[in-house]
Amino acid sequence: MRKIALVSAIVLLAAMLVPAMAWSAPKEIKIGVIYPLTGPAAAAGRELRAGAELAAEIANKVMPNINMDMAKNAGVKSLGGAKITLIIKDHQGNPQLGADLAKKLILDDKVVGILGCYYSSVTKTVSAVCERYGVPMINGSSTSPTLTKRGFKWFWRTTPHDKWFTKDLFEFLVGMTKGKAKGVKAVPMADLNPLAAACEKTEWGSNVAIEIKNFAKEYGFTLASDILYAAKSPDLSSEVQSMIAAKPGAMLFASYTSDALLMIKTLKSMKAKPKIIWGQDAGFDKPEFVALGDDIVGILTRSVFLPSVVKMKPLSGQVNDLYVKMMGHDLGGASARSFTGLQTWVYVLEKAGSTEPKAIQAACNTISIPGDQLVVPWVGIKFSTKGEEIGQNVLGGGLIGQYQKQKDGKIGLEVVYPFDIATAPMVYPFQGY
Amino acid sequence: MEELGIQILKSAVSGLIMGLVFALVALGLTVIFGVMDIVNFAHGEFLMVGMYTTLLTSPLLGVDPVLTLPLAGLVGAVLGVMCYFGLIRFLLRGPMIAQLFGTFGLMIFLRNLALLFMGSEPRIVHEGWLVGKSILVGPGVVLESTKVAAAALSLISFAVVWWFINRTRVGKAITATSLDAEGARYMGISTEYMNALAWAVGGASVGVAGGLLVNFWPVEPGVGLLFTMIAFATVALGGFGSVRGALVAGILIGFIVNLPPVWDAILRSIDAAGLRGLEIHSFKYTMVYAVYFLIMVLRPQGLFGWKQ
Repeated sequence: MRKIALVSAIVLLAAMLVPAMAWSAPKEIKIGVIYPLTGPAAAAGRELRAGAELAAEIANKVMPNINMDMAKNAGVKSLGGAKITLIIKDHQGNPQLGADLAKKLILDDKVVGILGCYYSSVTKTVSAVCERYGVPMINGSSTSPTLTKRGFKWFWRTTPHDKWFTKDLFEFLVGMTKGKAKGVKAVPMADLNPLAAACEKTEWGSNVAIEIKNFAKEYGFTLASDILYAAKSPDLSSEVQSMIAAKPGAMLFASYTSDALLMIKTLKSMKAKPKIIWGQDAGFDKPEFVALGDDIVGILTRSVFLPSVVKMKPLSGQVNDLYVKMMGHDLGGASARSFTGLQTWVYVLEKAGSTEPKAIQAACNTISIPGDQLVVPWVGIKFSTKGEEIGQNVLGGGLIGQYQKQKDGKIGLEVVYPFDIATAPMVYPFQGY
Repeated sequence: MEELGIQILKSAVSGLIMGLVFALVALGLTVIFGVMDIVNFAHGEFLMVGMYTTLLTSPLLGVDPVLTLPLAGLVGAVLGVMCYFGLIRFLLRGPMIAQLFGTFGLMIFLRNLALLFMGSEPRIVHEGWLVGKSILVGPGVVLESTKVAAAALSLISFAVVWWFINRTRVGKAITATSLDAEGARYMGISTEYMNALAWAVGGASVGVAGGLLVNFWPVEPGVGLLFTMIAFATVALGGFGSVRGALVAGILIGFIVNLPPVWDAILRSIDAAGLRGLEIHSFKYTMVYAVYFLIMVLRPQGLFGWKQ
């Protein structure tokens, strides 16, 4: 009798334990997403959010016509098909608010990790909170070089940063002197020299200015005018006068939206005639900038994703189709990078096979995602674990696009750098105003 | 040396033009203060409303942006009168601090209203008689048409306001109200009406300014702040309430912000590459506020101020 009681007790206990063990594999994996959904960057915020949501949707469903590993399974396979749930928060461009939201996500919502935050300044504070609590954070869209120079153990960045982008510019200029640009004969260096740069003077622009100064020296260019200006300034004519007086071959800018518009208007009215105008993304890549129409034909901007990328990467085209269905327009630099950020999260979780922070950390430090899995035109994703930079993707790359008039009469961006993937002959020299 | 000479000429001309633009924006602010001793923090938002009026009505009516200026002025005037009767009249009963916070609140209200209806993205007029045009007036001296038009409008507005205040009966009644409201009431002047008129004139002048500026400047809900900071410095520098002071101070500020290219030209002419590190472009507004500070210390009522 006692034996029966013992056996039945064991059976009962086992019956209780088995489902408990089955339940221990999570049904959902919560990832905190912090982006600027209101405030001056609300438009970018909408794109960032949509990019992350699309990646989560692809990860959670089986989508046979998307040529991507995460589209083959519903959820994260190594975690028993657990679905990705995004908890999206709005930091309004405010670093302090961002840090508070991160704390809330970690302590109240118990997220596995964090994705964000676009603004380098907010990424800085949010990553500091993650570091303190030992929660992994993946950043897909902040480009201040200093973020990966802090030796953080819980922070990884997929996007290349401003140093790389500025280096791309100088590789491009030097390539032009060697006749590598599609459709343009070798340009004498004297035609591109001297350079004149004007950068807005917050953390982002002033860092770009430093990179331009350093690379100009390294690549043997003369920087004749090097201006920092207030982005919120009612007038830029004195800056433009100084730049024109330096008689530059190339004019380089790091501008936000309204100052980029004012800059182009001022350049035009002062009849500037440089051979090259280049912008460091941001204001040079916004719909209102494109609406300037013929005035921007020939202007170059760095980017990480251009609609013309779909011409050379079928996978980008497949994802872009879904994005167009969702938002009504093409993927852009912000959405494509946000997509890639969340995609990296999915691959990392797949590799870790666990939601334990330590396991995720180990997976991040050893992961290698090949370029054919990505919508962005990179060699892949692999994070540095030693040296000056920690947690930086070393396989990323930038693009330089040029505004050109397309067959339908619309103004669009064509890839002119890297030279081997150029989608159209480059327009050179810039028409001048 | 020749380059330096040309640069001084260029800077002087663009300083004068830009100065007149600053003065135009400051005009309404000084008129309202002169009459009522109220600092209108929402002044820049009136400018923003004028900018949006032109931006939206020009394509709607199918006319050139310049032709919508009377409409922008009208909207500015109506907004001014509405603000007066809806808010300012009540604030006048309270202490000074209530007036300050009241117009500050009005600023936040108008800005967020614009954010709600217009969104945060900057927008700009793309086509028009003035858009992208410029005038070549000498060796390398190029003037933007929009700025020249705004400068001309500025001179006209100042002349009209000066004439109105000093040469008409209504203007004299406004002056009387501003000097001694109680005395003016005893003389049979409706001070209420005069105050509303000052808000209408102030609103109309800045509304027209906005309508013209949007031919060159992108408009977004926060655009007012860029110009009001300068407008406040202009009005304080010229003397609160002084129409002539606003004109002179505006031009002075125009000259100051156009100094950096002259500095660059001097460095180039003496070939002082080592001094190039002295980046004065990023300090151009610091110089404006430094001059403002100096004048406040030496002459607190401003250059032409008559109110203490």
